[in-house]
Amino acid sequence: MGVKDFYQKHYKKLFWIPILLIVLSLLFLGVKYASTGEIIKRDVSLKGGISANLITKEKINADELKIFLSSRLKTDVEVRTLVDFATREQSGLIIETSSLDSDGLKEALKEKINYSDEDFSIEEVGPSLGEAFFKQMITAMFIAFLLMIIVVFITFRTFAPSLAIVLAAFGDIVITLAILSMFGFELSITSIAGFLLVVGYSIDTDVLLTTRVLKRKGEGSVMDRVFGSFKTGITMVSTTLIALLVAYFVSTSIVLKSIFLIIIVALIVDLFTTWFMNTAILIRYCNKKGII
Amino acid sequence: MKFKKLFSIRVWILIFLLILAIIAIAPKFNTEGVEIKFVDRNSKASENGLQVGEIIKEINNQQVNSVKVETTKGTYVYDVLDTIGFALNNLTLINTNNITKAQGKIISINEKNITNDNFNNMLFEFLPSNTIKIRTNRNSYAFLINKELEISVDKVEKTNLRKGLDLKGGIRVLLKPVTDEEVTNLQIRDLIKVLNNRLNIFGLSDVRIRQADVGNDKLVVIELARTDIEGVRELIEEQGKFEAKIKNDTVFIGGERDITFVCRDDGTCSGIRNCAQSNGAHFCSFEFLITLSSNAAKKHAEATKDLDVNLSGGGRDGYLTETLDFYVDDELVDSLNIGASLKGQEATQILISGSGSGNTRDEAYEAGLEEMDKLQTILITGGLPFDIEILKLDVISPVLGDDFVKTSIYAGLLAILSVGIVIFIRYRMLKIAIPMIFIMLSELLLILGIASIIKWNLDLAAIAGIIASIGTGVDDQIIITDETLKGDEAAYNWKEKIKRAFFIIMVAYATTFAAMIPLYYSGAGLLRGFAVVTIIGISIGVFITRPVFGKIIETLLKKE
Repeated sequence: MGVKDFYQKHYKKLFWIPILLIVLSLLFLGVKYASTGEIIKRDVSLKGGISANLITKEKINADELKIFLSSRLKTDVEVRTLVDFATREQSGLIIETSSLDSDGLKEALKEKINYSDEDFSIEEVGPSLGEAFFKQMITAMFIAFLLMIIVVFITFRTFAPSLAIVLAAFGDIVITLAILSMFGFELSITSIAGFLLVVGYSIDTDVLLTTRVLKRKGEGSVMDRVFGSFKTGITMVSTTLIALLVAYFVSTSIVLKSIFLIIIVALIVDLFTTWFMNTAILIRYCNKKGII
Repeated sequence: MKFKKLFSIRVWILIFLLILAIIAIAPKFNTEGVEIKFVDRNSKASENGLQVGEIIKEINNQQVNSVKVETTKGTYVYDVLDTIGFALNNLTLINTNNITKAQGKIISINEKNITNDNFNNMLFEFLPSNTIKIRTNRNSYAFLINKELEISVDKVEKTNLRKGLDLKGGIRVLLKPVTDEEVTNLQIRDLIKVLNNRLNIFGLSDVRIRQADVGNDKLVVIELARTDIEGVRELIEEQGKFEAKIKNDTVFIGGERDITFVCRDDGTCSGIRNCAQSNGAHFCSFEFLITLSSNAAKKHAEATKDLDVNLSGGGRDGYLTETLDFYVDDELVDSLNIGASLKGQEATQILISGSGSGNTRDEAYEAGLEEMDKLQTILITGGLPFDIEILKLDVISPVLGDDFVKTSIYAGLLAILSVGIVIFIRYRMLKIAIPMIFIMLSELLLILGIASIIKWNLDLAAIAGIIASIGTGVDDQIIITDETLKGDEAAYNWKEKIKRAFFIIMVAYATTFAAMIPLYYSGAGLLRGFAVVTIIGISIGVFITRPVFGKIIETLLKKE
């Protein structure tokens, strides 16, 4: 019972870990916004430009190609190579630019690489549309969060425990955003799918915890009920994590990979917000209200 | 015995639904042949009843006939398939295309003497009009053709599941009307109609066009199962406003209101008529006949009645002083002299002309044909109600899509297996791990079954939705299992325990469901697949599979 004793003794201090993480994340995002004008990098689907994907085994020097394409399109071009997970060999190229000249890009590429149209994918987005998508994404996120708050408050009809759940979900999103931003992750239109799922997964464990602690007064002490929930919650997170990790490494689609990555990071963050922050608030609430 | 109890009514319902799902998905094990994706409405194939969706198992045909053409300049022997390769003007070969080098005045074809009168009638004899025999999965067909079959085919789908654009490859275009006025939904519907006609006339099969709104902007999304953007972009972007004017009066415009018939694919009233060289460049001019509505013909009479005749201009009776000018998108493409005999007449038959140019004669010929095709199309469909701007253009490689499908299947199965392993490590009981895997696979099958029934296109976002909802399903099953296992120490009965588990599950369900709603309406519908599939998935979970899992676990864990 080492963990249980340790937790019982220190839960008030542990509470500050996620709080600190949230504050640091908000600070980081604020500084990032002040210096670059956005809290996280956006890919072409949200800011406009071209993103092309070419399947080729031809050995390409990415830097040389980048310089060549940049001079041809007269604007900055980014070139990355894709590596096959199983064989560790180059399987393709990703080319990104803010230019909208897809025909020019195709022509320039044909000069350097021999490829067929079948192997070429391209996404071209006008800047105004990208901006509109980004706004919609934020709105969708905002509405989803609001609806979640309503569901939670209707369900528990008590202020502090409901607020604790909402705070945990908020923390998950903010900390995840900060971590992704720190590592240069590029937000795309499909990322919204990931973040909305984070809201869903995040409150799963919080609801479980709150229900068990507040509504199962006959099943052991508050601490017993917390630990019962913890065991269930950890099982839930570990199955989801393992499934997502497998999917992340096996899948070849960048769209799927980025959705999975967002949820993986958020699930790990959620361990802290749920079991350090939400739980601590709940225990204090129980102590205050005399719930045992 | 417990095993017997396992098959409660709920389990039977699930089994029944699973069978329905498999029937809906309908996996085909025999995928030989090719599936017909598109049949040209005016083709022999369509006349003879070939339909989209049939699977061609066998075709036999395709011979090439050779013709011997004798002219004043020599004898020429060459192979023909669907055209003889030239037209006649007073028995002189004109308008020859690149399958023949014949020239001069014609004498005979295949030893048969040619006169001005019998040429058109005999043309069919010289061209190979073979019996083509097609055997499909539904029927056998045999009919005569003397040109291409005018259908397009693709691999046979192995199931009824529909793949979205990012899994099968193709082009997606998001476009916006450019106008200062407020665009109405009706105008968008007109725009979609014109675009549809245009793309269909060009033989692009598998076209999907729909309205999509982003914020206050009304946009249109076009999806095509093709990957050659160059032609498509031009086809879509061109407004295609056709006007025929005399002086500054518009006589008629493109579209069915003024033009009742446009001749195409018929050498007697449409085709390249003349090729010439000037200043090193080649030009080929084309002509085709159109029929005007009576209204447009009246306008013609009105516009020409006060014009003077210019006798010195040539022609039998001279020409009118003004020409009939053709404009496409306000740019003059050609001018025609109007014969004096047409003055003040309600002309219903008008020859439209134009030309194409190139560095070689062949290039000019091809360009001429292309220009003619374009002009015919905009005359039939009319112009777009407004200028449009392409906002987003995606071309997705079909090779990449195949890879995504394959790896997604691996990823899904591996993920289910590894979840099973984690569950077994945690509970050390196969009677928990096995039902869980069974439920996960059932959910997968039910989601795919519903997607087949509602003909939903599965794209990458939808795959993410499937994985997400099965993931949520596992979480719920763990909650049920733990609530049930806690059983002994608490005094609650089984029903109460399951009910408690369902309370938690329903709250999570309501939250996720709510989160998906805004997504349905945003991003021009690009993430609709994710929202819909996730909602289907979690609903199946809560209303079908979770109750079954509860029952199974209750039966297996209950101490006798």
